Amino acid sequence: MNSLLTALRLAFRAITRSALRSALTALGILVGVASVAIVVSLGRAATEQVGSRIQSLGSNVIYVFNRSVAKSGARGAAGTGGGLTEGDARAIAREVPSVSQVTVYSDVGMQVSSSFENTRTKVVGADVNYFDVRGYTINGGRNWTPSEELTRAKVCLIGTTAAGALFENMDPIGQTLRVGKHPYRVIGTLASKGQSPFGTDQDDRIVMPIGSFRARVAPSPGRRVEMIMASAPPGSESAAVRDMEALMSQRHHIAEGAEADFRVRSQAGFQKRQAEVLNILSVLLLSVAAIALFVGGVGVMNIMLVSVTERKREIGIRMAIGARASDIRAQFLAEAAAIALFGGVLGLALAGGLTFALSAALGWDLQLSRDAILTGLATSVVTGLLFGIWPAARAASLEPIEALRHE
Amino acid sequence: MTDSIISLSGVHKDYVSGPELVHALIDVNLEIAQGESVAIIGQSGSGKSTLMNILGCLDRPTAGVYKLGGIDVTESSADERALVRNRLIGFVFQGFNLLPRTSALENVELPLVYRGVSRRRRRELAAAALEKVGLADRAGHNPSQLSGGQQQRVAIARALVTESPVLLADEPTGNLDSRTSLEVLALLQTLVADQGISLVLVTHEDQIARCASRILTVSDGRVQRDEPNPEILDAAELRAEMG
Repeated sequence: MNSLLTALRLAFRAITRSALRSALTALGILVGVASVAIVVSLGRAATEQVGSRIQSLGSNVIYVFNRSVAKSGARGAAGTGGGLTEGDARAIAREVPSVSQVTVYSDVGMQVSSSFENTRTKVVGADVNYFDVRGYTINGGRNWTPSEELTRAKVCLIGTTAAGALFENMDPIGQTLRVGKHPYRVIGTLASKGQSPFGTDQDDRIVMPIGSFRARVAPSPGRRVEMIMASAPPGSESAAVRDMEALMSQRHHIAEGAEADFRVRSQAGFQKRQAEVLNILSVLLLSVAAIALFVGGVGVMNIMLVSVTERKREIGIRMAIGARASDIRAQFLAEAAAIALFGGVLGLALAGGLTFALSAALGWDLQLSRDAILTGLATSVVTGLLFGIWPAARAASLEPIEALRHE
Repeated sequence: MTDSIISLSGVHKDYVSGPELVHALIDVNLEIAQGESVAIIGQSGSGKSTLMNILGCLDRPTAGVYKLGGIDVTESSADERALVRNRLIGFVFQGFNLLPRTSALENVELPLVYRGVSRRRRRELAAAALEKVGLADRAGHNPSQLSGGQQQRVAIARALVTESPVLLADEPTGNLDSRTSLEVLALLQTLVADQGISLVLVTHEDQIARCASRILTVSDGRVQRDEPNPEILDAAELRAEMG
């Protein structure tokens, strides 16, 4: 213990004596450790964030999107010119047993006004199941009734962001707002859900019955809708996706192997994609880390070999007055580890700055976690020790008389 | 002689230099008693440095037996030799061999570091040793801030701090002017007289050799003469006469 402390003290002294050289040597380690720390932080934070946001879409939601199939082969943007209809949604509800609830969905971004303010928000047409399927909680007022849906009543529910913009601190329930020429009565408010994984504000919206939407906000021929969403009980998602695909193919007369005009996606699919992106990012960063650590390690080894040659006489003196080979080895190993640790600490500082910048840019709650700091420190020390082995062995193998003779 | 601290019998040292086999030491027999001061004198290439290296456990004899403090160190391992150097031998070199950019106090502490002595105790012992060589006020100075004579005194303090029974001084005054040389020799004589240390002093100067109680003349790898010094020079007195 005592000799370890001594070795560390000597190492610290050697580093401070040639601070510039140590700093340059530690540069590779710095980059490597910064990458490792960011990977660890990112991996954790992203898993948490993406997981919770996808949950915020509603649990176990399956989406059916329009997909335009152009004869020329060029594909238009998602949601354009599609063929999904309310009939498809009803058919799914009726014929796919693994699905518990189904809703249609269409939206349009437009100017909406109250008697006080006006704002641009997203106006959504859906059916009465929408809030359940998407996991919205109605925290004030009520949902619309089936009869209101049938009669295309001028009623709507409002998200917190839109409510704030239109009514500030007032209770929006019972208030009237205008969408286009028509007044709608606010009958319910939605509890806040925050951002979606795609970065949109899920609270900035006004939701009304699809009939009302189609009648006055955005008329669409043939009861077409942009999207159908279905919820499935946990465990039956893949069956639901399969059954929905089969039913939809049948209804849309899609031949086996032909390109369909719709696309069915489950939440698990989104999660998988996100995980893939994260994996690629992690692999990239870890490759950078590996290369940087290798280069850094070789740098440490190089500087330590130079140091051993320069300090042959010192080694000789130490041996003459009683240092064993193992004492000399420990001294140089500690020095290598300390240089690397020095780089590691700088690397963590850099990683801290980068995660701060990244979290600001991505809007994630990204922090340099304790795991990341510990992993980073351990990585640097291990690298230093690994690349210090050879120089330390060389120092320890010197013969005392030879070393003493060295000028 | 049973109370010999150093005992060499039939020691040979050969080494290969290019195509030639060099007999650096041939059949050296030597007994040095505790408290004795022995000067080894000889031309360069006579074998006196090789003898010194063997005595200091820095090198092994090719043949023969070397006992230090009753322990046969001829066949000992590198770690055992390190231990013997640490416990039984203090070195004083011609070139001082202090660690650069390291204070006098820390230089003196160094042998104790490898002995596993606690930091606080090391400080105390090193300060006491510096006091003995008259450099208590220079404890915080680095070697580059000290004169040659002061550096050699720091080196002597480093050899003293371990309370080793043997002090090996290899041309200790080789880099010093004659006044400083006498001061260093006077210090060594005091240590032998007061602490009963055995001093082995390698030199090529007769006057310095005559400060020891016994003079060994080495040439061509053999001890040619081994006789007591009838008239030991008192270095302190000589220094005083110089004014």
